[in-house]
Amino acid sequence: MSFGKSVLRVVAAFTLLVSLFLVGASAAAADPIVLRVLYYFDATSPGAQRELTEVWEAFDKANPDIKVVREDLFNEPFHQKTEIYAATGQLPDVIYMWPGGRSSTLHTKKLVKDLAPLLGEARSEFSEAALAPQAAGYLAELPIGITLTHVLFANQKLLKDLGLTIPKTYEELKAMVPKIKAAGKDAILMGAQDDWVMQSCLYSMIVGRMLGDAYVDKLIEGTAKFTDAPFVNTLKFYKQLYTDGVLSAKSLQTPYNEVNGLFASGKAVFMIDGDWKVGNFLTDITTGQALIPPEQQKGIVMTVFPEIPGEINHRTSSSVVGVGFGMNANIPAGSEKEKAAWKLIMWLNSPEVQRERLETGAAFPSRKGVTSDRLEPLAQTRAKFYGEYGGTYVLDNVLEASVYLPINVGLQEIGLGLATPEQVAANTQKAYDAWKAAQK
Amino acid sequence: MKASAAGVGLGPGATGVVSPGSMKPTKVSGAKHEERWAYALLVMPAVLVYWAVMAFPAFFSVGLSLTNYNGGPLWSSMNPVKFIGLSNYIKMLRDPFFSVSLKNNMLIILVSVFGQIPLGFILAYVLSRRLVGLRDFFQSMIYVPTVISTIVVGILWQSIFSPYGPITEIMQQLNPMWENTLFINPRTAMIPVLIVILWMYTGTYLIIFLANLQKIDPEVIEAAKIDGATEWQALRYVILPALSGVVVTSAILAISGSLQSFSLIFAMTAGNPARRTSVLSLYMYDAAFRGAPDYGLANAISTFIVALSLVLIALLKFVENRAGGREE
Repeated sequence: MSFGKSVLRVVAAFTLLVSLFLVGASAAAADPIVLRVLYYFDATSPGAQRELTEVWEAFDKANPDIKVVREDLFNEPFHQKTEIYAATGQLPDVIYMWPGGRSSTLHTKKLVKDLAPLLGEARSEFSEAALAPQAAGYLAELPIGITLTHVLFANQKLLKDLGLTIPKTYEELKAMVPKIKAAGKDAILMGAQDDWVMQSCLYSMIVGRMLGDAYVDKLIEGTAKFTDAPFVNTLKFYKQLYTDGVLSAKSLQTPYNEVNGLFASGKAVFMIDGDWKVGNFLTDITTGQALIPPEQQKGIVMTVFPEIPGEINHRTSSSVVGVGFGMNANIPAGSEKEKAAWKLIMWLNSPEVQRERLETGAAFPSRKGVTSDRLEPLAQTRAKFYGEYGGTYVLDNVLEASVYLPINVGLQEIGLGLATPEQVAANTQKAYDAWKAAQK
Repeated sequence: MKASAAGVGLGPGATGVVSPGSMKPTKVSGAKHEERWAYALLVMPAVLVYWAVMAFPAFFSVGLSLTNYNGGPLWSSMNPVKFIGLSNYIKMLRDPFFSVSLKNNMLIILVSVFGQIPLGFILAYVLSRRLVGLRDFFQSMIYVPTVISTIVVGILWQSIFSPYGPITEIMQQLNPMWENTLFINPRTAMIPVLIVILWMYTGTYLIIFLANLQKIDPEVIEAAKIDGATEWQALRYVILPALSGVVVTSAILAISGSLQSFSLIFAMTAGNPARRTSVLSLYMYDAAFRGAPDYGLANAISTFIVALSLVLIALLKFVENRAGGREE
């Protein structure tokens, strides 16, 4: 073999290798960036189809270089899957999350990034209240809205038919019960089979009214005890609701979304739930139907629980800085994946998407100046609702999970007559002490 | 057995020369040896898969139940895993929701063993002996619940038993003052769940018994009849002894299935109200994935479920041996 031929072969082999490398590299460059997303999605909501087409499909079309692989879950299964992902280190790239308690693992273990540096100048486009530091002391998720977890929905027509008006005090509400029951109706509907509902949508408001956030801060610090009279009194008042017939134990075995149809069909005069429930009553664009048609929505009033004896905060609801989207902390800073994930998060918080959420009743905007002239009457009522009522803490947003779980279960036990307020308070204090000891 | 014993220890270099001591040709032993290797190779994938997905996780779970592991990497300098002995088991035994869950599991086992199996057998017997007409129709109807998704069944029955569901509506037509407190009353909350379990899984045992009843030679039964046996005597002295092994196998299936009960209850009640309809698997799931994760406790519960399952099956085998039955 001549030297020239050998050189030629080496050059040819080298050229082939370089070509293969370049082809591979260009092919790799053409591959879209894959983003795994865990999303909290109520597929039964009338706005679900709009959400899919106007939010997710629109993003896919506008960003062919990003492939979103979305996993949709709702209610407890969502939270349980989040815990599984967190435990196994398989957290998706973008995750729907709460600013505190319900997503405490993500916060306390710092599994998601601080989004404040990525937000930069765009910060001024959001309500400052929505960007307050969250459970771990930083902006772990960019809130898509602001949430009031307690709303008293009132069926104005039913009230009028029964010769009643919206009660201003608890005593007035209590006095209405016999008349409502005589008419074969329930006073208040709640879908509280899942134990978070009673705590998030009712009891947190009671604690806020009777004790206020400052007292809850003392409970968290340990300078006040759950077994002290003030906290026990809030549980006693909650128990009184059952004794007076204002709440029925049936609520505790009613599935969360079963109440939608029951309230829409006039089974009860009132319903207690979060502001997000509005979305379930609006028109579904795919069918053109609504559980409560727009012309009847004007007869639904959104208010708060009447004045509680001895309350120190008046006409308050309970509120959280809204839920939103966080980014997996393992995504390298400055990487293409981080850019893609941030692009998605910003799209999910864009004026277009927040307007869509406002119209479907999914969330009240965290961005400034997002309005719509396409709001159905109940969505308009909701928009006004935020300006009328202040909010106190939601307990599962400020307490550790191991501390609020005995409250959640205890509220069901009180309702069923299985535990006294004192016992529930003692169990909660025990859980708090155990948690505190584990911190040392 | 002798030939195979002779094969043990025969090396790969066997030549097929007759051994002077035994007069047995080593060619035969070599064939046995090859046969053993073939068996081992055929079984190996299944054994490996079994160890990977069943045995190893079970042993690993026992290990984790003795630690304070609470998620994240196992070997992390930031949050090292510590051996804490039986603390998680003590915590489990002291938890009131453990006894509630265990009691509910026992109720399910009772309904499965003493409800589904006898009912499945009676229905299979009635159908196989053609004591009623429309055999195929009844067979299909009884088996249908088994093939429907458990979650769908759970949601369906949840709606039926709901305080605002059709049962309440019907009962209130009869008695306007009637209140549906089945789920609300902790003493009766499990009744709807048990009814659904009975309804859903009886079909499985119907099919098992029906298949095995068809294996019994009809001529044997006819012979007994000719000898003057009544239907009951044919059942008592011919059919039941022939099915004793099937009954035991069914009972083992019922016990292990009952201890795994999860999806139906998760869909129907999620263990509520106040966790009074929880079962061990749901209790374990709650410990691991609900609110504040406690993986050590969850692994202790899972170990307890396995141990309880083994004890109950051993008890069953003991009863079977004492009763003189045999497993086919």
